[in-house]
Amino acid sequence: MSRPLAMPLCILALASVAAMVVSVGTGSVSVPPGDVIAVILGDGSSLQQTLVLELRLPRTLSAFATGGLLAVAGALMQVLLRNPLADPYVLGLSGGAAVGALLAMLAGLGGLIVSGSAFAGALLATLMVFGLAHGTGSWTPSRLLLTGVVVASGWGAVITLMLAISPVQRLPGMLYWLMGDVSYARSPSPGLALLFLVCILVVPLGRSLNVLARGPMQAAALGVSVRPLEWTIYVLASLLTATAVTMAGSILVVPHMLRLVLGNDQRLILPACALGGGALLVLADTLARIVIAPEQLPVGVITALLGVPTFLYLLYRSR
Amino acid sequence: MLNSFLLPAALSLSLLAMGQSMPAAAKVCVTDDTGANVCLEQPARRIAALSPGATELVWAAGAGDQVVAVVSFSDYPEEARKVVSVGSHTRVDLERLMQLRPDLVIGWVTGNPPEQIEALKDLGLPVFSIEPRSFEDVSHTIERLATLAGTDDVGFAEAERFRKGIAAVERRYRDAEPVSVFYQVWDKPLMTVNDEHLIGKVINLCGGVNVFGELERLVPRISSEAVIGANPEAILAGGMGQENRHWLTRWEAFPSLDATAKNNLYFIPPSLIQRPTPRMLEGSRLFCEKLDDARAKR
Repeated sequence: MSRPLAMPLCILALASVAAMVVSVGTGSVSVPPGDVIAVILGDGSSLQQTLVLELRLPRTLSAFATGGLLAVAGALMQVLLRNPLADPYVLGLSGGAAVGALLAMLAGLGGLIVSGSAFAGALLATLMVFGLAHGTGSWTPSRLLLTGVVVASGWGAVITLMLAISPVQRLPGMLYWLMGDVSYARSPSPGLALLFLVCILVVPLGRSLNVLARGPMQAAALGVSVRPLEWTIYVLASLLTATAVTMAGSILVVPHMLRLVLGNDQRLILPACALGGGALLVLADTLARIVIAPEQLPVGVITALLGVPTFLYLLYRSR
Repeated sequence: MLNSFLLPAALSLSLLAMGQSMPAAAKVCVTDDTGANVCLEQPARRIAALSPGATELVWAAGAGDQVVAVVSFSDYPEEARKVVSVGSHTRVDLERLMQLRPDLVIGWVTGNPPEQIEALKDLGLPVFSIEPRSFEDVSHTIERLATLAGTDDVGFAEAERFRKGIAAVERRYRDAEPVSVFYQVWDKPLMTVNDEHLIGKVINLCGGVNVFGELERLVPRISSEAVIGANPEAILAGGMGQENRHWLTRWEAFPSLDATAKNNLYFIPPSLIQRPTPRMLEGSRLFCEKLDDARAKR
């Protein structure tokens, strides 16, 4: 990787590590920084070990993986749809996941089954949009976008219906899921592994993606096989989003701001999103844990409250 | 507290006080409402109650002094307000909970997030999950909590008091004239209960007939039209706060309703009837009095 690309990535990597340190060191119970280090080195009281190693660390890693996955998925969607406003949910994938998760919750199931059901819902939504957008005519990004938006509002209607008919005592859990909440996440390793894999996979594609972002005609003229590349992006972005949603419900993480700051080079943007999105969600979740402790906020509230004004500001400032 | 233990528990505690180890004989096991077997090597000394109802039941079981953590809205008994809160029943602050080093967690099957209950079990905490659905469940839950807390004397007596009290109400109203009843559990949206709900059972206990008792859902959402169509003889409502009758005012606009015409619109303090605790006995007596009042107006 060339030098100008490496610099921002190093900064973001440092920021990610810093965010994780802050997150692991912060909570409703205070653990002095020295003790946090002691615990990580295998020392400390058993209460501190429980707090840091069993409660905070898995949650921090889950938040990082979720944020990273969503940001990369969003960046891929932006290339696919050639629209810098696209987010990972624009094609209705989160709606399908939500319907899956809520169905499982409605049946009184928890934990792994809710996650599995959300994942199945997300994949179903992906296939539906893909199949419908294909239709009888040609497959274009604008057609994909419109299909996705319509299907998304369809999922929205189903979600509203399910909330309306659910037993009262199940509503809080469902609403928290819809708002996005990392406290559902149990094991961060699958998400982290996928994030790492995708970064390795996607960076070599960066050059083709750069060309594609300028338009399919130019890309084709320059020797990029457009259709297979678009399908790859779509499947990849869907898989990432489905995994993220499965971990923590529907959280909005905006890759827009990185694109506004760092420009439009996919080779830089994609790994930057993995780091930046991860760090952002780690910090947001830390806030969610402590703002009104002992009550807990869903992290989705924080990301939206932080993300929307930042995005608007950057948008307003740019030209 | 000591005098309230059964002999083995008291013995083991006094041994502990003398600096000796607890004999294995003190081990207690009970089955919770998810069917899980919860065993404690020794009676629970530090209890975390993860719902306001659980808090009341632990106090009823005589183990109030052993409660180290509650959740928001745990407002009864008065002493419960002084206990540290670890968040709400829908989202528990696990860090703060662990800091309080509980040796028993009282969960709420349909109220606490299953993920968090699982997490607590993974951390090695015994979790006793409750979901009382009948009067007998209330007594039985108090008894099991007393067993876990080593307060059998107080707990079993309280459970029996509740059992006998409900039985007395039942005997008194067994042959009472039926009164058709609509119970309004929430205002916007309008919600009621069916016969399976504990409040539905209070209605039946008092010789009332729940006009929506046959509906399939435990807490059905209904329309005003359905209430007007069912034309109950009495309407009873809870409300927000202890003396807030305004949920009933919407029915005053319908003079054609039997309940409105006869002025059978009654307020029941929600805390007396909406939590599955021994206070339901008081709530049931009050509920029955209201239905008696309606009968007297015939």
